[in-house]
Amino acid sequence: MIKQDLFMHLSADNNFSVLNRIINILNRRRVRIRTLAAQEHPDDFRKGSVSMVIHTTTEMADKVKLQLEKLIEVDQVTYQVQPVSEPAEKEKIIYSL
Amino acid sequence: MKADQHTAEVCSGAEILLRSLVAEKVDVLFGYPGGAIMPVYDALYDYADRLNHILVRHEQGAIHAAQGYARASGRVGVALATSGPGATNLVTGLADALIDSTPVVCITGQVFAHLLGTDAFQEIDVVNTTIPVTKWNIQVTEAKDIAPAVAKAFYIARTGRPGPVLIDITKNAQNEKIEFSEYVPCTNIRTYRPKPELSLTQIKAAAELINQSNRPYILAGQGILLSGASDLLVAFSGKTGIPVACTLLGLSGFPVTHPNYAGFLGMHGNYAANININECDVLIAIGMRFDDRVTGNVNKFARQAKVIHIDIDKAEINKNIRADIAVHADAAEALTELMGLCETRNHRSWMESFARLNDVEQQRVSIHSFLREGELTMAEVIDELASQADPLTIITTDVGQHQMVTSRYYPYRTPRTLITSGGAGTMGFALPAAIGAKLGMPDRQVIAVIGDGGFQMTMQEMGVIMQYGIPVKVLVLNNSFLGMVRQWQQLFHDKRYSFTEMSNPDFVAIAGAYGIAAAKLERRENLKEAISALLNSSSSYFLEVRVGKEENVFPMIPAGAGVSDMLLEAPRTEYPESVNR
Repeated sequence: MIKQDLFMHLSADNNFSVLNRIINILNRRRVRIRTLAAQEHPDDFRKGSVSMVIHTTTEMADKVKLQLEKLIEVDQVTYQVQPVSEPAEKEKIIYSL
Repeated sequence: MKADQHTAEVCSGAEILLRSLVAEKVDVLFGYPGGAIMPVYDALYDYADRLNHILVRHEQGAIHAAQGYARASGRVGVALATSGPGATNLVTGLADALIDSTPVVCITGQVFAHLLGTDAFQEIDVVNTTIPVTKWNIQVTEAKDIAPAVAKAFYIARTGRPGPVLIDITKNAQNEKIEFSEYVPCTNIRTYRPKPELSLTQIKAAAELINQSNRPYILAGQGILLSGASDLLVAFSGKTGIPVACTLLGLSGFPVTHPNYAGFLGMHGNYAANININECDVLIAIGMRFDDRVTGNVNKFARQAKVIHIDIDKAEINKNIRADIAVHADAAEALTELMGLCETRNHRSWMESFARLNDVEQQRVSIHSFLREGELTMAEVIDELASQADPLTIITTDVGQHQMVTSRYYPYRTPRTLITSGGAGTMGFALPAAIGAKLGMPDRQVIAVIGDGGFQMTMQEMGVIMQYGIPVKVLVLNNSFLGMVRQWQQLFHDKRYSFTEMSNPDFVAIAGAYGIAAAKLERRENLKEAISALLNSSSSYFLEVRVGKEENVFPMIPAGAGVSDMLLEAPRTEYPESVNR
C-alpha cells in the first residue's frame, strides 16, 4: 500500500493531556504528522477538535482511527484521502484555524 | 450510593478519597507511603476497620498485588503510592495491566499544585509518564474533583475492555477541606461507549459460516473469562462440536478435561492446537487479540480459513489478522446469540486429527519430560502439583520457562485459576500477584510458581507474607539460569550463554529469615512428599526445587516462523535466515 496525505479530523472532550494521548498513538505507529491544529469549541470550552494531515497508508489510517477512538476523551475520528493537488490548500485551512 | 454521612460535612480531600473508595466497595489497598501521599495515609489511620491496607515492600509489588487481586476476584484492584519514584515504580505494573486487560485503579500523591512544573522534590510528570500505559489517567488539583475522578476511574477501569487507571492527586487537594455529602458513582461518559451494540446481521453471518463449516476451530482468549462466558463456551462447544484452544491468558476459560479441549496456543503451546490453525476452514477467535506469540508469522497464519473475530475492543479487529466477519461485542452476548443460531453438529474426524497430533507431541516431546531419570524436570514438578492440588487452586506465574511448562502441564479446570503476566511478560509478577489473589479469594489455595531469576526481582514481598501472615505458597523452580533466554542462546546464538547463568543465594535461608516455613528438594524420590507439604501447610510455605540446568521447553515456534513450522525438538541444522533471532 502506498503512503499518502490523509486529512484526519477528531472531535474530543477538551481534557487535560488529550492532545498528548492522540500524538502518542500516532508516534507509536510511526505515523508522520505533516500538520496539526487543535482548537477549543468556540461555544463550549469543554469540547475541542484536532485536524491533521498525516502521511500514511489507508490501511494504517484505519487501524489508527480505531485506536484513537478508543481514547476515553475522543468522540469521533474521520479521515479522507486528500487529492494530490490539495495538501497545500488543506494546510492553509488548518493554519487559519 | 450515599457517602458514610448523608448530610454534608466538612472533609479533607484525603478523607473524601477514602470515603469514595469505601463507596466503591474497595476492601483492600496495596500501597507504600511517602511525602506527597501523607495526608491520605493520615486519613487512612482512621479507616483501618473499613480499608485493609497492605504495606508492600516496593510499589511494583503494590500494583502486581492489585492485579492479582483483580484477576482472581473479578473486582477492581487498588494501589497507592507517593509522587516521583513511588509513582514511576508503578509503571511496569500499569503496562502489564493494560496489555492484560486488568482493572486496577492507582492513586498517586503529587507535589503541591503551585510547585507543578518547578522540578520540586519528588515531582515527576506522572500523567504524561503514564499516558501510554493506562486506559485513562487524570491529575486532580482541587478537593472537589476527587470524588468525581474516583467515580470515573472505577467506571472506566471495570467496563468495556478493562484496564488500569491512574489518579494523581496534588498534596494541597488532599489537605483542602470542603463540604462533602454524597458519592455519586459514574454510569456514563459522553465520549466513552464501553458496551457495543451487538450486530445481529454479523452474528447471523457468523452462524451461517459456522453451520457450513467442516473444520471449525475456536481460539478462546481472556475475553471469555472477563465476560464470564466460560459456561457458555462449554455449552456452545458441546452443541456445535467445535474444538476449543486457549491462549495463554485464556487458559482456565475452558476446562482442559473437556473432550473438545484442543490445547494451549502459542510459541510453546500444544502441537495440535497450533498446527491445526492452518488446517481449519473457519477460525472463530473470541476475546483474543492475535498476539504475535499466537500467530507467529501472520503471513503464514490460517491463510486457508475464513476468520470470525469476536471482540469487545474494536481496535483489535483487523489489527493483526484480517477478519472476514467482525463481531464487535462482549463475548458472552455474542455466544448467547450464536448458541441459538448454530446447529448441533459433530466433527468427529476433525477432532480425531487433534488426537493424532497430540500423540505425536506425547511421543516426541512430553515423553522426554517424564523419563524419571537424571535431573528433575519442571514438567515432573508441575505434574505432581497438578495431581495433588484441588481444581480451585489459583496458580500465578512470572514469564519464562516455568510459565510455559506450567501452562502446558497444569490442568486448568476452573475459571480464573491462572494469573500470569502474558502480554508484558513481567519477571517478578508472580509473588506479589499471588499475595493479591489470596487476599481477593481468601478461601482458595494460591500458589506462586516462579523461576529463580524472577523470584529475585520481587522477593522482598515475602516481607508482606510475613507481616500479615498471608498463607501463600511459593514454588521456585531453580535451574540457576535465566532459562528461556539461555534456551534461545542455545538454539539461536550458538550456545553463547551471555550473562544468563546465576549464582543464587540460599533461598531456604531467606524464606526462613522471613519466618516462612521452607524446604529444598533435590531428589526425585521426595517430590510427592515435598509437594504435599507445600499444599497441606496451613500457613505460608516456600519450596525450592532444583531442576535440570539446561532443560529446554518444546514444542516451539521460532520467532518469525509460521505456526506450521512448530518444532518438536531442537533442529540439528542451522535455522534459516527467516527466523528472527
